[in-house]
Amino acid sequence: MRREIIDRLERALGAAAVTTDDTELLVYECDALAIFKNKPDAVVFPANTQQVAEAVRIANEYRIPFLPRGSGTGLSGGAMAIDGGIIIELQRMNRILSVDVENRFAVVQPGVVNIHISQAVAPHGLYYAPDPSSQSACSIGGNVAENAGGPHCLKYGMTTNHILAIEAVLSTGEVVRLGNTAGEACGMDLVGAIVGSEGTFAIVTEITVRLLPKAQAVKTLLAAYKSFEECSQTVSDIVAGGIVPAALEFMDDKTIVAVEASVYRAGYPLDARAVLLIEVDGFSDGLNETAAEIIEICRRNNAYDVRVAKDEEERARLWMGRKGSFGAMGRISPDMMVMDAVIPRTRLPEVLAEINRISEQYQLPVANVFHAGDGNLHPLILFDSRRQDQVDKILTMGEEIMRFCVGVGGALSGEHGVGCEKADFMEMVFTESDLQTMANVKRVFNPSGLLNPSKIFPTHRGCTEIGRPGTTSTEEIGKRVEKMLLGQKPRAHSVLPVR
Amino acid sequence: MTIDGITPAKILRPESIDELSQALRAETGAIVPVGAATQTFFGNPLRRADCALDLTRLSRITEYNPADLTIHVEAGVTLEQLQHALLENKQFLPLDPWNGPRATIGGIAAANAQGPFRATGTIRDWIIGMKVVHVDGRISKTGGRVVKNVTGYDLAKLYTGSLGTLVVIAEISLKLRARFARTATARVRCENAAAAAGLLSAIRSSPLNPVSCEWVGPENAVWIRFGEHPSAVDWQLRNLPAADWQIIEGAGESAEWEKLRQHYHELGSVMLRVIGLPGTVSEIVSEYKPKAWIAHVLNGIVLMAVSTSDEIRAIRSRYRVVVEKAPVEMRREVGTFAPAPAEYDLMKKMKEAFDPEGRLNPGRHVDGESSK
Repeated sequence: MRREIIDRLERALGAAAVTTDDTELLVYECDALAIFKNKPDAVVFPANTQQVAEAVRIANEYRIPFLPRGSGTGLSGGAMAIDGGIIIELQRMNRILSVDVENRFAVVQPGVVNIHISQAVAPHGLYYAPDPSSQSACSIGGNVAENAGGPHCLKYGMTTNHILAIEAVLSTGEVVRLGNTAGEACGMDLVGAIVGSEGTFAIVTEITVRLLPKAQAVKTLLAAYKSFEECSQTVSDIVAGGIVPAALEFMDDKTIVAVEASVYRAGYPLDARAVLLIEVDGFSDGLNETAAEIIEICRRNNAYDVRVAKDEEERARLWMGRKGSFGAMGRISPDMMVMDAVIPRTRLPEVLAEINRISEQYQLPVANVFHAGDGNLHPLILFDSRRQDQVDKILTMGEEIMRFCVGVGGALSGEHGVGCEKADFMEMVFTESDLQTMANVKRVFNPSGLLNPSKIFPTHRGCTEIGRPGTTSTEEIGKRVEKMLLGQKPRAHSVLPVR
Repeated sequence: MTIDGITPAKILRPESIDELSQALRAETGAIVPVGAATQTFFGNPLRRADCALDLTRLSRITEYNPADLTIHVEAGVTLEQLQHALLENKQFLPLDPWNGPRATIGGIAAANAQGPFRATGTIRDWIIGMKVVHVDGRISKTGGRVVKNVTGYDLAKLYTGSLGTLVVIAEISLKLRARFARTATARVRCENAAAAAGLLSAIRSSPLNPVSCEWVGPENAVWIRFGEHPSAVDWQLRNLPAADWQIIEGAGESAEWEKLRQHYHELGSVMLRVIGLPGTVSEIVSEYKPKAWIAHVLNGIVLMAVSTSDEIRAIRSRYRVVVEKAPVEMRREVGTFAPAPAEYDLMKKMKEAFDPEGRLNPGRHVDGESSK
């Protein structure tokens, strides 16, 4: 990047808030979809909305692509700088600005970690409902960009159902405030359109989130099965029975083995083919009856073990296993590719059978851990990124699995977004006219196209052009870190103070 | 058919989405999409109407998957027709807009129509996909047919509440929920506004979780409805703040809410939707002293009857206000939405992107007013 541009950014944000150091940029070459990588030309760390706007204006002036980034936990490459340019890292904007207990909302900055909101308002008996599995790391700004979900959105809805108002920097650098604390759309719902636009419509700099009162009581159950079919049937029967569980999660044997071998060990039965983690919440009165109904449904479907968490500690442990399951895969495989398809929940058995067939055909294991209640699958393809033949295979497998899910009436993504990962799959579900309409709307928000380019829409550039898988090998990173530690002192801004 | 004093030169009644598309392809004038015409008083005054598109013949339920809790309906399907179809599987769509069961799903979405179930959400929360026809006849869709989906932009959010000014909504996919195992309503008439406000404040700070909570004035009646597991409903009824509650259950319950719905239409000829906070509802009522009101207390929204444009301007100086109903002249004078400049600018550009010649429902939305 030209020195002149770097100087402008440093003058606007402070020298310590701009980095172009080649080694430091490595951190920002991908998000949690680590198979696609491309380094940005610079990363800036604004401390406030004005600095975000200033960075955006400079990028516009020099016609440089730019994109926002939160914690980098996204799983579709949404925060990856495909075309280089400037990453606007929002982690310094991590303050909870206000909490209105009476009216049940909080105003937060985008860098606030999801779970920190619930922790901050817990003394008031409130919480923030959407709980992606990465909630102890992911930022609320990223959640807004991706319309993040989580296990409990089965009952409580996605991020979009909990965002009341936003302040955002538009692609031109203009700062706008949209929505209101009542969450009442007046005419077109612009907030609703921006949530889930994957950082291509605007950079959200302040968010008003809805807070909910904690349920009076919670019951968490674990049911173990010898077959996928019986497990899937249980899901259908619970839904058909008119029960609205708070969460309904499926984990298969591979997942169980990985979790039980990891620090997230939860005491899942190692001899099960699959388990369901079921949670119901609400008023104490009636909850025992609902739990009993669920146990009855599980038993009718041949669950050989049904356990009810006896206290908060056991409940937390059962959830830790589920929420840590992606991380736990490291115990059984060096790498994994997380998929995120949605299918009508009644089609679970046939889709699981097909995923199994594809796994056998390509000789790469696939673990299944997912939100069964809403049919949101997460096949985890396990592979070794050091082996190019396996890397090639997972991309083909991913496409085949996706094609099958779309074929049964499903969608490409339930909560991770399209990003660059699934951009070329968009034509599986959308016609040219559908995509043209989306492009028209994108042009309203992002006329220059400089804000987070080459995402969501098919590019047909293929992975070879979108940052080759594994551009920077682990070995190379190791060498660079070594060089940095031995050879030079870290620069001051690598330990930026968090305000 | 006359809307805002304008009678369309012709009315077309397409019977399929293809016919709707062909009609739009052929027309060159101002198009006015209409459902059951239950809420044509909402929005900025219509400017022109060369051709009305009556969508009531698009009345097919195209697919219903009870086990998936999803349904796909054409825009002209009425709320009544939809709920009826869901009955046998003990499912429903938790919407009870003031414009009633005769309203079409397309119309409810276009107007973002609401009622006492506002506490559990609005139609935006239940829409999972839409098929729409553009002004040039082009068909496109957004979302999908599954209950959870972030594939592509959620354009249904823009179409909902856009009053048919961006596209003509042709088909809507909805997620559903199981019918409440039991519902019960508790109602009490308070002595005065202060007593009602005190009672409502006690309800808001209690663990109660009503699906509707309405404050009806000037009679100061408080209506709360519970819908849940029978034991949970019982517990809530037992734990109501002390008052002389009348408990209504069984067949008569829905009839009472239907009476409230009809009462809404008698509140006055100028109705506002004043958007505050749950904690400012009583302040809004005491400060502006409306002739009559119904407040969605848990959402901080007061629907109030006022008389003059000056009153509307005064309230707008402090609160966000949408004009729900007013004579044409008054709507022309004050504008329906009064968006802030930034919002106005984005909405205006959106309108231009979808309908550059301004032919869809001309004047109805942002093209009919200026920013605040």
